[in-house]
Amino acid sequence: MAGTAAAHSDHHEDHPTGWRRYLYSTNHKDIGTMYLIYAIISGIIGGALSVAIRMELQNPGDQIFGGNHDLYNVFVTGHALIMIFFMVMPAMIGGFGNWFVPLMIGAPDMAFPRMNNISFWLLPPAIGLLIISMFVPGSPGGHGASGGWTIYPPLSTSGSPGPAMDYAILALHLAGASSILGAINFITTIFNMRAPGMTLHKMPLFVWSILVTVFLLLLSLPVLAGAITMLLTDRNFGTTFFAPEGGGDPILFQHLFWFFGHPEVYILILPGFGIISQIISTFSRKPVFGYLGMAYAMVAIGVVGFVVWAHHMYTVGMSVNTQAYFLAATMVIAVPTGVKIFSWIATMWGGSIEFKTPMVWAIGFIFLFTIGGVTGVVLANAGVDRSLHDTYYVVAHFHYVLSLGAVFAIFAGWYYWFPKMFGYMYSDFIGKLHFWITFVGVNLIFFPQHFLGLAGMPRRYVDYPDAYHLWNEISSYGSYISAFGVLVFLYGVVQALIRKEKAADNPWGEGATTLEWTLSSPPPFHQFADLPRIK
Amino acid sequence: MRFLNGLGRFVGLGAFALAASLFLTATGAHATGISTPGQMGFQPAATPVMEDIESLHHYLLILITAIVLFVTVLLAYVMIRFNRKSNPIPSKTSHHTWLEVAWTVVPIMILVVIVVPSFRLLYKELVIPTPEMTIKATGNQWYWGYEYPDNGDISFDSNMVPEADLNGRPRLLATDEVVVVPIDTTVRVIVTGADVIHAWAVPAFGVKIDAVPGRLNETWFKATKAGIYYGQCSELCGQAHAFMPIEVHVVSKEEFAAWVADKTKAASLTNDNVKLALATDSAR
Amino acid sequence: MKNPAFTIRWDMLPSVLLSLAIVSLMTAAVAYSPTLYKMFCEATGYGGAVSVARSLDTSKETSGVGPEIEVRFDTNVSSDLNWEFQPEQRTIKTHIGLPTTVYFTAKNLEDKEITARATYNVTPDVMGYYFSKVQCFCFTEEKLAPGETARMPVVFFVDPEMLTDVESKSIRSVTLSYSFFRQADEKTAAARPLREGSEQQVEDFKTAKEAVFEPIEQMR
Repeated sequence: MAGTAAAHSDHHEDHPTGWRRYLYSTNHKDIGTMYLIYAIISGIIGGALSVAIRMELQNPGDQIFGGNHDLYNVFVTGHALIMIFFMVMPAMIGGFGNWFVPLMIGAPDMAFPRMNNISFWLLPPAIGLLIISMFVPGSPGGHGASGGWTIYPPLSTSGSPGPAMDYAILALHLAGASSILGAINFITTIFNMRAPGMTLHKMPLFVWSILVTVFLLLLSLPVLAGAITMLLTDRNFGTTFFAPEGGGDPILFQHLFWFFGHPEVYILILPGFGIISQIISTFSRKPVFGYLGMAYAMVAIGVVGFVVWAHHMYTVGMSVNTQAYFLAATMVIAVPTGVKIFSWIATMWGGSIEFKTPMVWAIGFIFLFTIGGVTGVVLANAGVDRSLHDTYYVVAHFHYVLSLGAVFAIFAGWYYWFPKMFGYMYSDFIGKLHFWITFVGVNLIFFPQHFLGLAGMPRRYVDYPDAYHLWNEISSYGSYISAFGVLVFLYGVVQALIRKEKAADNPWGEGATTLEWTLSSPPPFHQFADLPRIK
Repeated sequence: MRFLNGLGRFVGLGAFALAASLFLTATGAHATGISTPGQMGFQPAATPVMEDIESLHHYLLILITAIVLFVTVLLAYVMIRFNRKSNPIPSKTSHHTWLEVAWTVVPIMILVVIVVPSFRLLYKELVIPTPEMTIKATGNQWYWGYEYPDNGDISFDSNMVPEADLNGRPRLLATDEVVVVPIDTTVRVIVTGADVIHAWAVPAFGVKIDAVPGRLNETWFKATKAGIYYGQCSELCGQAHAFMPIEVHVVSKEEFAAWVADKTKAASLTNDNVKLALATDSAR
Repeated sequence: MKNPAFTIRWDMLPSVLLSLAIVSLMTAAVAYSPTLYKMFCEATGYGGAVSVARSLDTSKETSGVGPEIEVRFDTNVSSDLNWEFQPEQRTIKTHIGLPTTVYFTAKNLEDKEITARATYNVTPDVMGYYFSKVQCFCFTEEKLAPGETARMPVVFFVDPEMLTDVESKSIRSVTLSYSFFRQADEKTAAARPLREGSEQQVEDFKTAKEAVFEPIEQMR
């Protein structure tokens, strides 16, 4: 029965062909692929913006922006929003989540396939609105939303009278709606569609990571949506939620924003934790060390992530006791994060490690995430943060955990699951070349930024005092190397798709124990018509 | 193995850079608060608070470098000892209760060790000692306005000196009117914003405080070394965010008194002019 | 064969309801956040929010005249509001627990009627909780005729309870800051005339002063 279903599925009426297959898609694998393609395109746009930023900052004085300082701020804002909402989130949750959560729990599809379709198709208009916003008037005399991704009022209200900010806000609304629908879908899928025997405590850690992530989404995104809606009404309908002239308080926006914003950074990294756990276990040929500790460390990170938001606001004028509380609470996060790092190493300990491309990326992730993590501990100290707040030290920190953490996890996942998703094997050499170029590039970009931050260079600066030249120049060279790495990545993808070297059902050997490796590569259009049983 | 070599080399470089930055900041002895080319650490401290920030940061830097080295050594060890060639048969160990307890408890202890000096620094920064004088800084798009409410209502706007008029002063940092404060004096800075949020920051003083419209914030510093100190706006405030620097001159108390006398005389002269103008206005 | 995921499964209802409940709860919380935030600030003095409605508890032993404290006054006028706005004194010395009256003056420099509104806070912000204003001109729309000057009273006291709080007990210098912001011209009709209103306030607590402040006046 299962065999016939698989054989016939290709000709069935809910498997449209051509453009309909994608536009009307209700298949989690097709939707996952679309998310991944979307993320790659957004990543290229966001990456191009960042290279432009680094070209401007390569030397002091006006460079490629030719004195259009507002445009520089637009690029900074666009880079952040695109990378967060349209690259990392779609890749991890939409892409890998859609592809592998149903496969790993032994489900035939997501719980609500049509809603899944809507979740994806809300995203192209969202990035469209954001791109439109770059071409309509924003702050006086400029085009585009230039208030940074934090869009603090009054800069984003009275300081930015043009419609660009409204477009950017609507873009965030659409992206937020997409994520909330996706989150409901994942929660229902994970709670209700696990194969018989797949208890919560037997779920692969990647599924756990997605489960924690989507709960964070449900709890935090309405807060962002509410805050930016108030921003919208402040801008257009005369309300004064954040306007001091009407009795409002701009600081309220910062509280709301960071109540969303801090969980958001865990939303970006938690699925990465899950991906890394799968890969480390696979290539060490060992089960994950301390499975329950790993799962509940993620739950702990998610929970504590909601009570630390004001550590982004140490300079806003808060009382001593408030800052002391946020200092201590923030430090606590280091504990579950440490548990994860040490558990990964313990998973490798005693293993039989094979350095295939995904494993190399995963080890790179552990190392770089550790660096980003410890600078986070430095920044958590409100006293020291007084000097480092809004400097390049912060930029270096969050790029180590996101650009070098989340993005390394995405590439690790990409190389890990590429044979499964597309049925073809890529060149291991190109995958490793891509790794080394990226590893050198991103470290060249971001390690010197620690020095710039300590020396006092504020972030979001289009031009800087001449003393900061050296490290900025090195940082810019790193950015060009990383950009070259993206070309190597794209070449590797195209080469693999042209070469068409068939991938085995399980190319990674006995260490790959999760359910997706029991299926063919690529998996059939509908899988698990007969649900697998987990002992 | 080749992978390992490259990684090891990089780690070595990183550790060297961290150590170098530690060394450089510890030995830096520049008189004034401005960054030097290629600087890797903090600007030299000019206030007791900044000295404490520096020492806590050094302490943290040693700690975090040790943690990164520890993780790196562990990673390197497992990569050599437990790769496919040297260890073809993987173990099946996936639990070790005491190990798991240890790597939960030890980080907690490290954090406690950090938190104690960290709280001390925080209280030192935020519990403001009785100030001897007050300066008010108002953030505007895109310049700082200053007032000296205790010194005969001196007030002036401080704009960045354009590149053509620098005469050897530092680009993007020099201002036309400078803030002058006496040495060894507890100065309270009250800060507010006129239009959007700005932030008043002087790295060598360890001071950074947001200038929020409709709200007054307060911080303080006590400069112990005479000299010229530079700072820059530290909250995104629009297109000229990078072009509203802060320049503070720390001078002896006598020089400060002379400066105040000078400024108030100038102010009363302009006031007289205004009164004169008003008088002629009303006469007309 | 239909995609098995297309069949309606009622056992999924709890998961969906849980998700929707979380989203609704958070949406409701954020919708009420401006109100809650204001209440929180007023209750705790967070961010230097001044308590307006508190009365001096004379029954407690801690009340009455405490140590001397310096109170400073800071004024701001938004750039689009052509008013002159100053405290009559920049700094006064008073005592903790002693109700004190100070005056501010505002003058409309423009040749048309202008409406404005003031916000205020105190620094250090921990003092917000202990700094109580009995009378003030804030948070309502106020208007001044062309060239008109108003003399506005503010009655405040510093609650002696501050001496029991480790965070505030050593503070002996407080700054009260006001910022006037211009309001839209449509609001002028409904606004309170600032001069008449202030004069009325001065009258009001001339009569009230006897009753409330007498014991303290004597102690002075």
